[in-house]
Amino acid sequence: MMTNKLQRLAKLMMVMLACIGPAQAHHSFAMYEAEKIVSVEGTVKEFKWANPHVLLRVAAAGDDAKVWTMELTAPGQLSRNGWTHATIKPGDAVKVQVRPFRDGRLGGAFVSVTVNGEEIKR
Amino acid sequence: MRNRLFSMICASVCVVGFSTDAESALSVPTEVNPAPKAEDWVALSKLPDWSGYWIPNIRDQMVQETSNTPPWNEKVAREMAEARAEEQAGKPRGLFANCLPEGLPSGMLVNHVGMELLFSPGRVMMFGDGDGNKLRRIYTDGRGHPAVVNPTLYGDSVGRWEGQTLVVDTIGILPQSILAINQAIGVPSDGDMHVTERIHLAGPDTLHDELTITAPRILTRPWKTTRIFTRDRRRVSEIREAICVQGSMFTEAEDKDGHASWIPAEYDLDDGTPVQSDKP
Repeated sequence: MMTNKLQRLAKLMMVMLACIGPAQAHHSFAMYEAEKIVSVEGTVKEFKWANPHVLLRVAAAGDDAKVWTMELTAPGQLSRNGWTHATIKPGDAVKVQVRPFRDGRLGGAFVSVTVNGEEIKR
Repeated sequence: MRNRLFSMICASVCVVGFSTDAESALSVPTEVNPAPKAEDWVALSKLPDWSGYWIPNIRDQMVQETSNTPPWNEKVAREMAEARAEEQAGKPRGLFANCLPEGLPSGMLVNHVGMELLFSPGRVMMFGDGDGNKLRRIYTDGRGHPAVVNPTLYGDSVGRWEGQTLVVDTIGILPQSILAINQAIGVPSDGDMHVTERIHLAGPDTLHDELTITAPRILTRPWKTTRIFTRDRRRVSEIREAICVQGSMFTEAEDKDGHASWIPAEYDLDDGTPVQSDKP
């Protein structure tokens, strides 16, 4: 019994290890600062669930004119971690952790999000 | 009656004559795909269990970027050094940002999404959930390559089973197909590429694809690499429709009559990032 549990745990760990990696699919993410994480609070304007990358656009709190464009991985990769197209909805209050563009563009590579108080990672 | 008989004979001669001419002119093959017999399906049950969803080992792909670099020729080595420098400077090349299928061999080398392998009599099918729905057909019915192959991104693949290993030979790959070591560093083969693969289980839930890539226009010698995949049987990992251009080229919208429709999306094809929206 214990052996079976250990085998299942080992298999799960193998799958998890294989899933760990940079958040890239059809292009490199070198345009984002790998070493830096910034936090963006605001309201979701768009959550685009589509290949090649899921997109999250957030209007910054206090300045609706500042719309951040965050890139996530592909829908297939996010699905493996339990995400669906309804995980985030327009109008949600969010706090997003992103690795920002190196060139100052208003956006970044998604790291995690707190949606209406609940933290979700990629 | 005689006239009618004469007309029938003429028509028959014409049809036979046309068919013969057409076959000789176009070398129309006479093979057909035979209906599978019960024993063909039974034979599949003796093949190794490759069911489930196979997730590429991205970490190993990254390690091989520096530990097992292809033997680029002098010109390409300089170009790849420039690509590496651009990537390190935060300006990566968008090799696959146009959303065309990665093709062979990149579809096996640098893909980050899952795939499944299905057996049916005479062929092995490979489906992926990225790469614009990756699709490879590997014929295992004993055929060789056609005398003339019309080039495609994934080429013409024929395979045979050596015990529990599927040996695949692929030619007819478009010269535009890229040999890449990651999403930003790679180069088109420029033609004459030949890829052989030995695909086998290396453990209960580990699949290895041992590739030998011959690309005389960009490499000084054949390059060998092994790509590793881990089995995942969870329902959340099932392969899904994944049309790259859907998100990169289009945004959901309504047409003038209020029907669900699409409008063009703007993406930066240099690096693949979405053009930013400044609309509040």
